[in-house]
Amino acid sequence: MTAAPDAAPGAVLPAPRRRPLVGLARAWRRLPPTAKVGAAILLFWVVVVLTIQLWPLADPLKMVGRRLQEPSAEFWLGTDALGRDVFARTLHGAVWSIPIAFVVVACAVAIGSALGAVAGFFGGWWDSIIMRLVDVTVSFPPILLAMAVAAMLGPGLLNASIAMIIVWWPIYARLMRAQVLEVREREHVEAAVAGGAPSGRILVVHVLPLCWTPTLINATMDFGQVVLLAASLSFIGLGATPPSPEWGSMISEGATRFYNWWIAFGPGMAILSVVLASSFLGDGLRDLFDRRSA
Amino acid sequence: MMHFDTKRGLRALAFAGVAMAAPLTSLPALAQGSDTLVIARSMDVNSLDPQRAFCDTCQFYLTAVYETLVTLAPDNKSLVPNLAERWEVNDDFTEFTFHLKDATFADGSPVEASDVVWSFERLKNLKGSPSFLMDGLVGAEAVDAKTVKVTLEAPNGEFLNKVSAPYGGIVNAEVAMANGAIAGEEAATEDKAEPWFLANSAGSGPYMLKAYSPEAELRLGRNDAYHGEAPGFSEIVVTQISDAVSQAQALETGQVDIAMQIDPDTASSIRSDDVTTEVVPSYNFLYVGFIPGAKGMKDVLTPEVRTALALAIDYEGVLDFTVGGAGARQAAPIPNGFPGTAGLTPRERDLEKAKEMLAAAGAEDLKLVAGYPNDNIYGVDFNIMMQKVQQDFAEAGVELELKPLTWSVWRDELGAGEWGVTAIYYAPDYYGSGQYVSYFGMMEGFPWANRAGVGDSALVRNETEEKLYAQALAASGEEADAIYAKIAEEMMKEAIILPLVSPNLVLAYRSDIEGVRYSACCNLPLAEISRK
Repeated sequence: MTAAPDAAPGAVLPAPRRRPLVGLARAWRRLPPTAKVGAAILLFWVVVVLTIQLWPLADPLKMVGRRLQEPSAEFWLGTDALGRDVFARTLHGAVWSIPIAFVVVACAVAIGSALGAVAGFFGGWWDSIIMRLVDVTVSFPPILLAMAVAAMLGPGLLNASIAMIIVWWPIYARLMRAQVLEVREREHVEAAVAGGAPSGRILVVHVLPLCWTPTLINATMDFGQVVLLAASLSFIGLGATPPSPEWGSMISEGATRFYNWWIAFGPGMAILSVVLASSFLGDGLRDLFDRRSA
Repeated sequence: MMHFDTKRGLRALAFAGVAMAAPLTSLPALAQGSDTLVIARSMDVNSLDPQRAFCDTCQFYLTAVYETLVTLAPDNKSLVPNLAERWEVNDDFTEFTFHLKDATFADGSPVEASDVVWSFERLKNLKGSPSFLMDGLVGAEAVDAKTVKVTLEAPNGEFLNKVSAPYGGIVNAEVAMANGAIAGEEAATEDKAEPWFLANSAGSGPYMLKAYSPEAELRLGRNDAYHGEAPGFSEIVVTQISDAVSQAQALETGQVDIAMQIDPDTASSIRSDDVTTEVVPSYNFLYVGFIPGAKGMKDVLTPEVRTALALAIDYEGVLDFTVGGAGARQAAPIPNGFPGTAGLTPRERDLEKAKEMLAAAGAEDLKLVAGYPNDNIYGVDFNIMMQKVQQDFAEAGVELELKPLTWSVWRDELGAGEWGVTAIYYAPDYYGSGQYVSYFGMMEGFPWANRAGVGDSALVRNETEEKLYAQALAASGEEADAIYAKIAEEMMKEAIILPLVSPNLVLAYRSDIEGVRYSACCNLPLAEISRK
């Protein structure tokens, strides 16, 4: 590891005594400009989600004007086939997409990292069983696996989220296992073993804190991908059910009304912004923390 | 570590791109003014065997390839001779005698009474979807080579209309039998001709089947031995284009000559001068159906609650939201213009009364679930239609949860009574109200009575309807119309089937094409179409 571990948010290293804010500010300065743009966009969406009630927006589920109106000063992105404000629906769509992406990535990281760490640290049977399970899962194309799971459980965002967690955890299991395999050979770990520390404590205190960087970078990038997959599932009717203003289902409505391009434009741009932003930010974080693989 | 960033970004772009560019099906470029007619359509073919098929695509395919004894005139009301040059009916509508004209099948052999008998018996005995046309058939006999006498067990004033349905087309019995077709009582299990009919035809119509590849194209060729006037094209290609927007684009670029499923909203966006669009009323309709026999719905969806819910729907609004007003409201589950519908008044919204009735029935805080196919039919998106119903119900204090489903799941859950509300559509197969009564009537053993009761049709049975229907079948003309009007009123009182929209149909074609019209029996009569 060449990067300073203290710069990684979420790291639980006991050693550093620097003030965390200073570290964050320094990290921010070192980020490439594209990553700053990405961070700003993601921050914007997070703010939208947290303050959506305060925005002077039309009710996303109610008819507010004549149907299929073109974008105008009154309706910035026009109205859809039911006369609902597309702009309001797009912003409200974030309330569905963004938290789901957070939850899915968080669960996938938690499950994947825990299993990957166990596989890497203890090896043997654990390793074989967990990694074969990973191999089986990643051998399916993600969208296909998610579709199969969502179709089996029935449509709905909860089921779509479960499907996506099933798709995503193996990536983190692999990442974490590779890191743990590398770190557990280091001298400080050997010293801990020689000192007679129990293996659980060695894993949690001496190994894991040094393993988070790749996971963090990957999680940032995957955030956008989860938004995209969730929208894809809704697009084909396996995610959000009407009338929720989920981005994928809005695009699905818009795709059948090609000449009323504005219905799909808002959610399409929203998805684009989130995916690009998380990709930019992930790239930037990698440049910062993990120059080897950049 | 992952190195897919560019690709991921591109995928995101591509996804957003879907929003802006509907996928264009690649089509062979077809020369304008050619001897081939190209039609864009999302095909719903279940079979091309005339006595097994039952689909909108089948309607115009069968009409082009097979001929019926009588057919529907362009006024969509009166019957005119086709293979039968004249016919006689006895006074109580149980015996029908048809006199055939001199016609030949595509292989040159004459159309004879034995072919008619064989075709009708096979239609009955295959027990397929269109077999209801032959319900009550006692027998058909060939009096001589050109005369057929059909006997029914009970009066049926609509039998002539029934044999005008495309599924009543006459098949060359000899050719069909040589390829595994059976007309006898064992036909339902023993008949092996279905695959043969997917590649061949055995009719007397102006066109013949050339080739069919599912989900791709249906190709017809001219029947050079046709006994009537030669049709306008040497070849007709029906090409699979799923959505209205892609169909419109193919039409504008001249890749196709006719687009069959353009909705009124899309039609109004077409600006090309080379395209003609006509908006005509259709006999198709979409409806909401209540299922009192569903799980836990028996004491919830009572007649009072159903009536209240029917009053809560904003019918004008539904029409506006689903088809931009390009359609008509419909009172009873019998299409506007069919016998018995002339004096009916479509339902109106009365929200206050709906609330009062719900309160009186103790049905405040009512929660219902609607399961329906996630599809777009006749230009109406079920999701849009049901979201409007959801909004209307909400104003009456009723919470409606929507479950858009795939067709197969919808069918399973409907049969199991998983939810109390559904939405679906219907299109006619011939001109006559009997078809609607025998499908939507709450009569012992009939399809919708079984659906609404989920097997227990006693729950929804309406004996008045049963009596009236028997009377209607034994009557004709204005007398029959009056009885059908009474049945329609009974059906409205039941409030189980709530017709929401009868969408207008858009006839969209290149301006050098003529003869395009909408037929109540046959959808699009291909034989009448030609290039200017």
